[in-house]
Amino acid sequence: MACSLFHEGACSPVLSRMRIIKYEALGKSYPSVCSQCSKPKCMTACSRGAIKMDAPTRVAFIDQSSCTGCRSCLEACPHVGFDPDKGAAFKCDLCGGSPQCVRFCPSGALVFSTVDDQLMARRRALADMAILSASG
Amino acid sequence: MKEMVDGWTGKRLRVNLSNDAVTVEEIEESYRKKWLGGRGFNSELLYREVGPDIDPLGPDNRLIFGVGPLTGTFAPSSGRTTVTAKSPLGGGFGDSNMGGHWGPELKFAGYDQLVIQGRSSKPVYLWIDDDRVEIRDASCIWGRTVPEADAMIKEELGTEEVHIALIGPAGESVVRYACILNDVYRAAARSGMGAVMGSKNLKAVAVRGTKPVQIARPQEFYRICADIRERLKRDLMCQKLYDQGTWLLTMPANYEQGWFCWQNFQKGNHPDAKKLSGEAHRDHFLSHREGCFACSISCGRFSRISEGKYEGEITGGPEYETLTAIGPRIGLLDMDKVVHNNKLVNELGLDSCSCGGAISWAMECWQRGLLTKEDTDGLVLEWGDQELIDKLIRMIARREGFGDLLAEGSSRAAAILGRGHDYSISVKGHDMSQDDPRGLGFAFGIGFATGRRGGDHLQGLPCLELTGAFYPGLVEKILGTKQAEDRLSTIKKPEMERYQEDLKAIGDSLTQCSFTHSWSFAVQPEDMAMLLSSATGQDFTAEELLRTGGRIVHLERAYWNRLLVGRLEDRSPKRFTEEPMPDGPNKGTVFPEAELIPRYYDVRGWDRETGFPLPEVLRDHGLEDIVDDLEKCRAQYLEKMEKAKNSA
Repeated sequence: MACSLFHEGACSPVLSRMRIIKYEALGKSYPSVCSQCSKPKCMTACSRGAIKMDAPTRVAFIDQSSCTGCRSCLEACPHVGFDPDKGAAFKCDLCGGSPQCVRFCPSGALVFSTVDDQLMARRRALADMAILSASG
Repeated sequence: MKEMVDGWTGKRLRVNLSNDAVTVEEIEESYRKKWLGGRGFNSELLYREVGPDIDPLGPDNRLIFGVGPLTGTFAPSSGRTTVTAKSPLGGGFGDSNMGGHWGPELKFAGYDQLVIQGRSSKPVYLWIDDDRVEIRDASCIWGRTVPEADAMIKEELGTEEVHIALIGPAGESVVRYACILNDVYRAAARSGMGAVMGSKNLKAVAVRGTKPVQIARPQEFYRICADIRERLKRDLMCQKLYDQGTWLLTMPANYEQGWFCWQNFQKGNHPDAKKLSGEAHRDHFLSHREGCFACSISCGRFSRISEGKYEGEITGGPEYETLTAIGPRIGLLDMDKVVHNNKLVNELGLDSCSCGGAISWAMECWQRGLLTKEDTDGLVLEWGDQELIDKLIRMIARREGFGDLLAEGSSRAAAILGRGHDYSISVKGHDMSQDDPRGLGFAFGIGFATGRRGGDHLQGLPCLELTGAFYPGLVEKILGTKQAEDRLSTIKKPEMERYQEDLKAIGDSLTQCSFTHSWSFAVQPEDMAMLLSSATGQDFTAEELLRTGGRIVHLERAYWNRLLVGRLEDRSPKRFTEEPMPDGPNKGTVFPEAELIPRYYDVRGWDRETGFPLPEVLRDHGLEDIVDDLEKCRAQYLEKMEKAKNSA
């Protein structure tokens, strides 16, 4: 709800850039959100050039004023959303660098970090196994 | 163009199962301001539409689902739903509140309230897909457990993206304390709402909604929500709830405060209670945590049994009331058995508290020789016999054999048998939750004796006397004295109970989980007023909200009074008032009902003699419409009291 409130001024899972896939019987949830691809399929699919890459951050964003509502981007990737009232697509833009979903995630399940940070954390975990377990 | 008004949707969906009529009604602005939503909307509608002569299990009873102006928003812990109907258990006012994600989905579909009336001639379920409402055949699903039915409905609808509130076999069998569950494990458990649903031949209500909840002042609303979320994150009570869930209560309840319900409240502690501690559950049984919609506390648990007879079982819950109801209340302290029983009652659709209440009543009657094999179909009712308990739960859910008697609830069962009344630990026919006022606290005790649905800790949830001391200066600020922090003091306890009842009525109406404002006190009435004002664009003050809370409490009281229930029926179980706590930290304590109830009436503005709200108090709370009605009932009630006195 933080997401749709921040971006749209209304509370709605449909307008949220992140959707939660729920498995009620198991009590499990899975966050479904844009992977911020380097070569976004949604951008390639857009014939109007409405999906653009922000040069400094390399995060793709949708210019809704240029969007015709053709939904080709939704065909290309399920992480793009569609606002039926505006007739335009939307996608996660990482809130300009401070993702609201991460800010308000109570459990720490969502983390905002660079690819390198993630990789180094995993590499360190491997190294820990080799070094720390060997040194007892 | 906005389809919904800010905060609310302004729409009530009404479905008549007798003639398949579906209508959408407007909820006017003045009404919304007067009753807020959720519990407030529901209680008002019940009072207006379900009169004293209506049979709780007949077609004229209403089954009402209500959500509020904050439901489905970013407001923390706001995803709750109140379900209201005339209760088949107590025969009077009934309601129950559930978490999960169903309520927000109803809101996204465009409704503040769903009213179901009439009775279908065959099993059906309701499918609400935004504006499209269908009554669908449920013949194939009838008889199925809750998780089975949930999966079958999703398969039939061809989507997993739907939230379903449904009953199990217990609701179908009209067990008087059957519950309604949503998202498989989130129960509206108390006061028999599932029995009402079953009596209407309604198996489930599936909802999918895609409409946004509009916020009048989004940036302001965002800031207030962010601030409260930050407070909840730092709040010690919330951190403990996240860590251990409500299991955290076991250790203090048993070892420090002496209100751990052992064998139908015969004792307030047990030397081995630590087997059911929060730490033991977290370290050995916790599978993972699961929060409700928009909740940052995540008290919800999923448990996994990793060894023994029930190895491999996974279930949502249990929480404290359930683990004690189908655990120590019936003589069990083994966690695997308690977790298994929790799974069983959920899947069958039983309220764990009343189920434990009925079984513990029978076991105590057996213990005292009031029940024999002739009464029980040959069953031997020994405390803590897990094989028997498993069997009894299944028999109750399908009303088989001796289970048919227990399905009536302990109070009615005692009346039917003509014995064992004193061991039905219930108020107004509604089994007590597992909370003993001889240790938990005296404000709680007032709520148990006078409760709007009978004996239950959620009448006011007056945690100012339980956790209030963790908030320096809070109790003194609200009640003028720090002495009220003492659980077993009578000082300011009527005032405390009234304050918390009014506060809870607001929370249940907005909707906002009690753990944010009446367990943790991180959310204050002023915060609720700010949230509501920024969401709806209309200005509310804390004082005004508390007055609205009072209005709701008075109306719910009037519902009972109209049934000629008042002072005579505001009685705690004798165990709490006449049997001193036998041992433990509160040895010798009884609940001082005779002192506290009249004082509570004074504080509430209810007549000491009858327990009816005074006319001027009703008028003062905007309830002038019911004054005449209630005065007639008061005269009748005085006659009833006179007769009772003469026959005594």
